[in-house]
Amino acid sequence: MNRTQPITLLVCALGGEGGGVLTEWLVDVARHAGFAAQSTSIPGVAQRTGATTYYLEVFPVPLAELGGRRPVFSLSPVPGALDAIVSSELLETARQIGNGMSTPERTLLISSSSRTLTTAERMQLGDGRTDSGRLLDLVKHFSREHHVFDMGAVARDAGTVVSAVMLGAIAGSGLLPFPREAYEHVVGGGKAPEKLGRMAAASLRGFAQAFDIVHSPREQAAMVSRLLATTEQDAPMADQPLPPAIAQLFPPPVHAMLSLGYARVLDYQDAAYAQRYVDRLQHVLAAERAADPAATRGFALTTEMARWLALWMAFDDIVRVAELKSRGSRAQRVHREVRAADGDIVKVYDHFKPGAPEFAALLPAPLAHRITAWDRRRATPWAMPLKVGSHSVVGMASLRLLASLRWLRRRGSRFTEEQVLIERWLAAVLQGTREDWHLGHQIALCGRLIKGYGSTNERGKNNLLHVADHLAAQPGTSAAARAEAIAAAREAALADDAGKALDAALVRHGAPARPVQAQPIRWMKRRPAATP
Amino acid sequence: MRLGAGDTFHGEGILAITKGLLQSGVAYVGGYQGAPVSHLLDVMVQAKPYMDELGVHVEACSNEASAAAMLGASIHYPLRGAVTWKSIVGTNVAADALSNLSSPGVTGGVLIVVGEDYGEGASVIQERTHAYALKSSMCLLDPRPDLGRMVDMVEHGFRLSETSNMPCIMELRIRTCHVRGSFECRDNLAPAVSTRAPIAEPAGFDYMRLAHPPVTFRHEKLKGEERLPAARRYIAEQGLNELMPGTHADLGIVVQGGLYNALVRSLQQLGLADAFGETDIPLLVLNVTYPLVPEQVADFCVGKRAVLVVEEGQPEYIEQEIATLLRRRDIQTPLHGCDMLPPAGELGVEVMAGGLSTFAARYLQQHAQDSAGDWLDGNQKRRAEVAATLDAPLPARPPSFCIGCPERPVFSALKLAQQDSGPVHIAADIGCHAFGTFEPFSMGHSILGYGMSLASRAGVSPMMQRRALSIMGDGGFWHNGLLTGVQSALFNGDDAVLLIFKNGYTSATGTQDIISTPDDEVKERAVDKQQSLVDKNNTIESTLKGLGVQWMRTVHTYHVDTMRATLNEAFTTSFNGLKVIIAEGECQLERQRRIKPWIASLLKKGERVVRVKYGVDEDVCNGDHACIRLSGCPTLTIKDNPDPLKVDPVAVVIDGCVGCGLCGANAHAATLCPSFYRAEVVQNPKWHERLLHSLRGALVRALQPA
Repeated sequence: MNRTQPITLLVCALGGEGGGVLTEWLVDVARHAGFAAQSTSIPGVAQRTGATTYYLEVFPVPLAELGGRRPVFSLSPVPGALDAIVSSELLETARQIGNGMSTPERTLLISSSSRTLTTAERMQLGDGRTDSGRLLDLVKHFSREHHVFDMGAVARDAGTVVSAVMLGAIAGSGLLPFPREAYEHVVGGGKAPEKLGRMAAASLRGFAQAFDIVHSPREQAAMVSRLLATTEQDAPMADQPLPPAIAQLFPPPVHAMLSLGYARVLDYQDAAYAQRYVDRLQHVLAAERAADPAATRGFALTTEMARWLALWMAFDDIVRVAELKSRGSRAQRVHREVRAADGDIVKVYDHFKPGAPEFAALLPAPLAHRITAWDRRRATPWAMPLKVGSHSVVGMASLRLLASLRWLRRRGSRFTEEQVLIERWLAAVLQGTREDWHLGHQIALCGRLIKGYGSTNERGKNNLLHVADHLAAQPGTSAAARAEAIAAAREAALADDAGKALDAALVRHGAPARPVQAQPIRWMKRRPAATP
Repeated sequence: MRLGAGDTFHGEGILAITKGLLQSGVAYVGGYQGAPVSHLLDVMVQAKPYMDELGVHVEACSNEASAAAMLGASIHYPLRGAVTWKSIVGTNVAADALSNLSSPGVTGGVLIVVGEDYGEGASVIQERTHAYALKSSMCLLDPRPDLGRMVDMVEHGFRLSETSNMPCIMELRIRTCHVRGSFECRDNLAPAVSTRAPIAEPAGFDYMRLAHPPVTFRHEKLKGEERLPAARRYIAEQGLNELMPGTHADLGIVVQGGLYNALVRSLQQLGLADAFGETDIPLLVLNVTYPLVPEQVADFCVGKRAVLVVEEGQPEYIEQEIATLLRRRDIQTPLHGCDMLPPAGELGVEVMAGGLSTFAARYLQQHAQDSAGDWLDGNQKRRAEVAATLDAPLPARPPSFCIGCPERPVFSALKLAQQDSGPVHIAADIGCHAFGTFEPFSMGHSILGYGMSLASRAGVSPMMQRRALSIMGDGGFWHNGLLTGVQSALFNGDDAVLLIFKNGYTSATGTQDIISTPDDEVKERAVDKQQSLVDKNNTIESTLKGLGVQWMRTVHTYHVDTMRATLNEAFTTSFNGLKVIIAEGECQLERQRRIKPWIASLLKKGERVVRVKYGVDEDVCNGDHACIRLSGCPTLTIKDNPDPLKVDPVAVVIDGCVGCGLCGANAHAATLCPSFYRAEVVQNPKWHERLLHSLRGALVRALQPA
């Protein structure tokens, strides 16, 4: 009985990436070369960016030598019986490995290093992304041989689609018994190079690049190392150095973060405010020194406070936004992002919708309270939808005018309120640190909950202060236990914006759930059917 | 399609079937689109000129019921007719007409090509078409997925239908429809009776041809006494089922034709067959799974130590029928099937091999299958290992709305509206809008069928203090929703809210045209090819008005604020009748097909083109991703925060953004953070534009700090 087996290839792609074209190419190449081949697909789910797969089998002996017999091909990939998997997306590669498709004994894995994040990963409040390092480990561990490179980048560089790049990778791997020319002939539609259309030429460029990357291991090793290099990053420094007078107040481990924080607060308001930042941080440092005299923790607490304190003190408001949006560097960034050519004109419209609170923030307390009270009385809060053309003179002028109101911010009601809340948090951190370093550290890390504008910002502050008030100083529980509880609550607070998980975590650790925030719901209740 | 004798066809299975129809001299073709068989009808519609040449009539039916009813032409007249749809759902819709067709029986051959949407890649409930063949006495063909064989079975299907007067169903699994192979063509056959050679006189009156008592009682007898026997004779004589000998003649496997390749590969994995299908265990390959030929099956089974039935899906009709016929003949051959193979789910190679190894272990002890055992265990071990390596299961990647899909904004508005008016019961439907049931929207309480959403809330809304919302596409509206939903709601004076997505096509099945699709002339005349053109066709609106709908609002889907307000109004208004919101916005796929070549031509001519892209200011973005929870657009994603102080990733709009405007609309409607900007890139600007821009630029730069 003849024991020769077909060569089996699984292709993983996302809808709209041209996986269908790829398999068509492969089948045609095989046909022209005189080999029996078959491809199948399940494009039903490929539609609209879903994950899908294509499957190809090629019989390694030319049809001419089979004496009229035709191999029976499988229509679906067989787990553990694949010679190669080619995938345009790292998570999808891992998914197929998880399905048991790839084996260390048999399977050649060619995968893109690039990620197309799933909705589930993108929609989280914090960082919901899957760790690519883990996925790469799977690729290495569950393959006979693997090639990993950024197929998306190659495709962009060649001005083509990823399917051409995948074809190049397959050809370069030598998986199938066909010469490079056979592939190029099919992609080029058999035309002479000078007669090629733009699309075909681009496809061939992408094909060639991928072919070389996979064919010559050196380039590809370099690619991988570059990839790994980008994953870990060293401590960043601010553009402008820290004034020595301030630097010498703090131990070196803190400097990197401190310089960034100092620069941020200075840029946000003024020298006096920056000084206030330094003063606050010194209290933290003192407390940490007391709690950890030998500095066994490398001043991690002060470093983290240097980060979160700066971010809170430089809280976002319309003045700050106007400042950021009206910078020249920003205009250049936009030009880069939209890939505008030299001759092109770029018009930029910024979407703002400031509400009553945003304006009230800049006014003295009594006046501010009157405005917010008026706003609360309304059925729906007042807000002004704006589309400001920052490329126009008027638009830019108004942005600069708003940005120049920095002096007003200091006198505004919100500034005062924020300082009070910051002090409360700071006090909690200091108090916690004196009790136990871990407790203080965990409360400090809760600074992460403070971000953004309007309701998001309010929500963050409420959550943080609730945690600080109820979990930090819980009578009858050990400091370690409380530190643990706070860590859990912080993670929970990032689970959903309704705060269900947070409340659950709070209650689980013996603290009350957050008070229900009054939210007007205008809903119509249908009367029960009248009884005769 | 025009290929003739001597040519070799290369392409997909479903196209081979289409070619097979023409080679068999089909006179009329109809159907309703749906994966995996959409292509059959699409190709025929596109090839209209050639179809006219042959005299073949092609009809894009409004639903499967009308397609099945079309087959009535073959009751009286010697016309070969073929229709196609997605099964099981389509067959459900067609069931009434199929019963009434099968009862009188057919004169001209009838072939119903159904896409058996079962197993991996399926998008519908998992049921078998087999049940319909049984209950209405229709032949069921399940050809071996080899293009040549499939095409032969088309021809045989028609003849089988004609000799037995039974309609024939040909079931094609998803991968069979999309398998790429080749076959040797025959010339296409122009039908004897056709649109070019029409019938002069209608058939004479014949009560026997009506599905109406008393003759229906006779029909039922005929099925058993004449039609099934005739069919069995033809199947046996023409050798439609294939017997494949094997060295272990004392064993046997009966397999559905469609599963043949998977079976052969499983046997290979166990070392019981080679790459060319040379098998050790004899096979009976059923290219016709109903009716079975009792003698054929009996002869195959008799005297064997054991027979295994490889059958996909539940209930195991074939196994049961074989068991009965063996018992009746007192043949004691041990019969196996669902005791060794899983009763539910797709029979992939691995699953099948599992069952086969049990079978082999029992009846082929001498056959060593260690390697196979290692292979199966290895798969399990690796899966466990991966699961252990990952602390959480990998996030799923379901299909979602296209970039720039006009339906996404409506779900944003609906999410916001429910914050105002409170959560509502949402009756969902079939179509692209069903993607609203996935993250980030996760909306929809029930899906009862294509166009059924409004009908499916009839029992809910009277029991509910708040109003229920029904969502329906224009595809579903014309397929079914107009009658089962709207008419019924109006007649009963229901207090209901219906939202109709008017995107102009049945998009989920491959953007086929419907009666409310904007005309080609309109598309030709449109000056700005980018704009949505669905507002140019008001068939839906006028139909609803004609039926007596009093509360109707038409809202462009990208006006999120207006849509939110309209939804709130519908949920809270004192008007207690049917409230219809028409969400207008042309399918993005269709728009892009129009826009891309247009833009390219403009740029070629060096004319002015405005390209829109949205963006996020990374230093303003608050890293909360509320915008993503309100959109889910693939191009609105996240990246590492460039600010070394901040830890959470920031939102970013990547290449591929088509500037649909949802980001901006949401930023305003939901008061998101002020980080979104809309950039308009003017290519080939006019001279005065350039002048203005340079002057303006100078001033702006003067105002800007670094």
